[in-house]
Amino acid sequence: MTELLAWLGQPEHSKPLALVIFFLIFVGILVYVFTGKGRKQRLESYKYIPFADDEREQKETDNE
Amino acid sequence: MAHGSSVAVEQYNYDIVKKFAIMALVWGVFGMSVGTWIASELAFPVLNFDIPQITFGRFRPVHTTSVIFGFGGNALFATSYYVVQRTCQTRLYGDLLPKFTFWGWQLALLLGVVGYMNGVTQAREYAEFEWPVDLLITVVWVAYAVVFVQTLRRRSQPHIYVANWFYMAFILATALLHIFNNLAVPVDLFSTKSYSLFSGVQDAMTQWWYGHNAVGFFLTAAFLGMMYYFVPKQAGRPIYSYRLSIVHFWALSFMYMWVGAHHLHWTALPDWTSSLAATFSIMLLMPSWGGMINGIMTLSGAWDKLRSDPIMLFLIASLSFYGMSTFEGPLMSLKSVNALSHYTDWTVGHVHSGALGWVALVSFGSMYHMIPRLYDTKLWSQRLVYAHFWLATIGIVLYITSMWVSGIGQGLMLRAFDDFGNLAYTFIETVTFMHWPLVARALGGAFFVSGILVMVFNITMTIRTARQEQAAIEAKIAAKLARAGA
Amino acid sequence: MKFSHESIEINAGLLIVLTLVAISIGGLVEIVPLFYIPGTVEKVDGVRPYTPLEQAGRDIYTREGCYLCHSQMIRPFRDEKLRFGHYSLAAESQYDHPFQWGSKRTGPDLARVGKKYSNAWHVQHLKAPRSVVPESIMPNYPWLAENDLDYSDIADRMRALKKVGVPYSETEAEYQANVKKFGKAMADQLNINLAGENLLAQAEAGNYDGNRSRLSELDALIAYLQVLGTMVDFKKYDEGYFAEFR
Repeated sequence: MTELLAWLGQPEHSKPLALVIFFLIFVGILVYVFTGKGRKQRLESYKYIPFADDEREQKETDNE
Repeated sequence: MAHGSSVAVEQYNYDIVKKFAIMALVWGVFGMSVGTWIASELAFPVLNFDIPQITFGRFRPVHTTSVIFGFGGNALFATSYYVVQRTCQTRLYGDLLPKFTFWGWQLALLLGVVGYMNGVTQAREYAEFEWPVDLLITVVWVAYAVVFVQTLRRRSQPHIYVANWFYMAFILATALLHIFNNLAVPVDLFSTKSYSLFSGVQDAMTQWWYGHNAVGFFLTAAFLGMMYYFVPKQAGRPIYSYRLSIVHFWALSFMYMWVGAHHLHWTALPDWTSSLAATFSIMLLMPSWGGMINGIMTLSGAWDKLRSDPIMLFLIASLSFYGMSTFEGPLMSLKSVNALSHYTDWTVGHVHSGALGWVALVSFGSMYHMIPRLYDTKLWSQRLVYAHFWLATIGIVLYITSMWVSGIGQGLMLRAFDDFGNLAYTFIETVTFMHWPLVARALGGAFFVSGILVMVFNITMTIRTARQEQAAIEAKIAAKLARAGA
Repeated sequence: MKFSHESIEINAGLLIVLTLVAISIGGLVEIVPLFYIPGTVEKVDGVRPYTPLEQAGRDIYTREGCYLCHSQMIRPFRDEKLRFGHYSLAAESQYDHPFQWGSKRTGPDLARVGKKYSNAWHVQHLKAPRSVVPESIMPNYPWLAENDLDYSDIADRMRALKKVGVPYSETEAEYQANVKKFGKAMADQLNINLAGENLLAQAEAGNYDGNRSRLSELDALIAYLQVLGTMVDFKKYDEGYFAEFR
């Protein structure tokens, strides 16, 4: 364990370390976004937001 | 009857959107015409006419500034103010502040362009504005950020639609880039001349960190925001995958900022920096294509719209060019390819496949969708939209192919050796070789300009018709009221 | 509060902060080390700040947008070595505010154009490029010979450059430091207090535009062009030395 910490402490090892960190974050986002049935439904429901104001427009034209 | 439209006027601030949209077209015509002019200067140097203000060196920043910040910038202001209102279903924050962003932005552009023609420049590509204009831009940008964020905060539903994420990233990144790349010390308070804070290798790195991310966030992320609203709206169906848009947003935001140094391959910049940049450039292909696929697949199952809807044609063609230039970009960031392509017209062609093919086409498509809605009317002519599309496409194809010929040709000639190990060509022989490709490129530019002129005519007629309709309605109401009164 | 992506989606402030983090890392990692890693700029003799006249010429070079067609950055390739000379060193542009490496060669690289052509050639070429190189597509610059050089604020310009790190001298101590570093003759040239006189004297001695009766913008621009790439004596170093820094 101390060996690992010593290895991490050396500045020239920052590159592989950063690579691992960023890659893990990326995988984390992927896993978060693409797992879970409820999450899928919730996230995909947002794609209808641009159409939310059509209803209002529709009503307006009905009024006319 | 007038009830509906008066509600719409109150709910959304369309006035500011109209202003920006019209100025986008004005700057577009001006900037693209200047572009065609300087392209012709390269083919026929007599066109410089020995007039200092329009020689290539002073006129080229006028072209780049007018099309990037004039056409592109105004189109982004217009669409972001439109999209943020409609996806948050709330009125734009403030009244004077958005107006200030409009007048401040136009003033900055005008001062910049007049300045360049008279030799006032920082001599940093795409950041030529001298320090007083830089300060004005900074103030305008802060106002823009305030308007945008405050509007987001007033939204009527919890989720912030992904198009706004892209606009947000564009506003933040542009602020960051603008401030750090323009750090400079003025000669004195009444002088328009300044010297950059950094020098040599550090200055080069800062400049291309700015330069490429101006492409990344100003010309890509922001226009993706545009795409994420207008493609679904025009197609009448939601975006292909919302989850893909989330992944694609974070990957793009993170990775773009690393790639600037690929403009400095084989220079005095340390190798580790440009190699790192090249690595990220290649990885960037993934999020770029994520966006393209998300846009194009939105039309999946409704491809027939391409046959019946010219606006859809603009949007889908723009995404195809986006896919093409984001494939060409990583290719050119490879050190071996860059050794040939750098310093040549290949780079110029690549920029324009993105700028004309992606940025301009997606803006045209979005504005054809948006402007009739702003004026509560229909486009004056669908056939002219088709005419514009084909003029623009022919222009782009001519432009890109002539630059491939010119750039790759020059690159190969410059590195050619004869049997005795001597250089096969002098530099000037490559200039002679480039003459006809440069003529073809200018012609391509002329096609593209004629396209936007057709659009300006069409939009003008659309607005005139809308005004006439409005006047007719008002006259009818007045008559009704008069009758009721009598 | 339980953290979830949802809180980003519905919280504009959090979205801003995380976006800022995501877009800041790349720039920080690539730019900041360039100021600290030793050897980013080579240790090499001869590179010095520009004299007042050369700096005035450089300001004309940037004003006219020469960088849009001419690079000042030779890459380490065989053809570029034969055509333009030794590849450029980072040290050679260490006093360049802003850098003028360029991104496009519509015309040839100028990093080592100094002393390659005579002053008279430059005069003729700048006034009418096609009279010297018939196939050239460079614009004519006749006004450079017609305009008097405005050097009224040259001392202010040098003072601004001093603020950003160029070692021009104003005090005796700074002057002495320059004597040590660049030799007495050059230290005199870099003295801000004598900027105007130095500029006139160099223009008089060099007679760059071939017309002694006036000090034109052409004088300054040619003085600048003639010094480009001439500061480092490459005979003093073997190739391995520069390779260490790359």
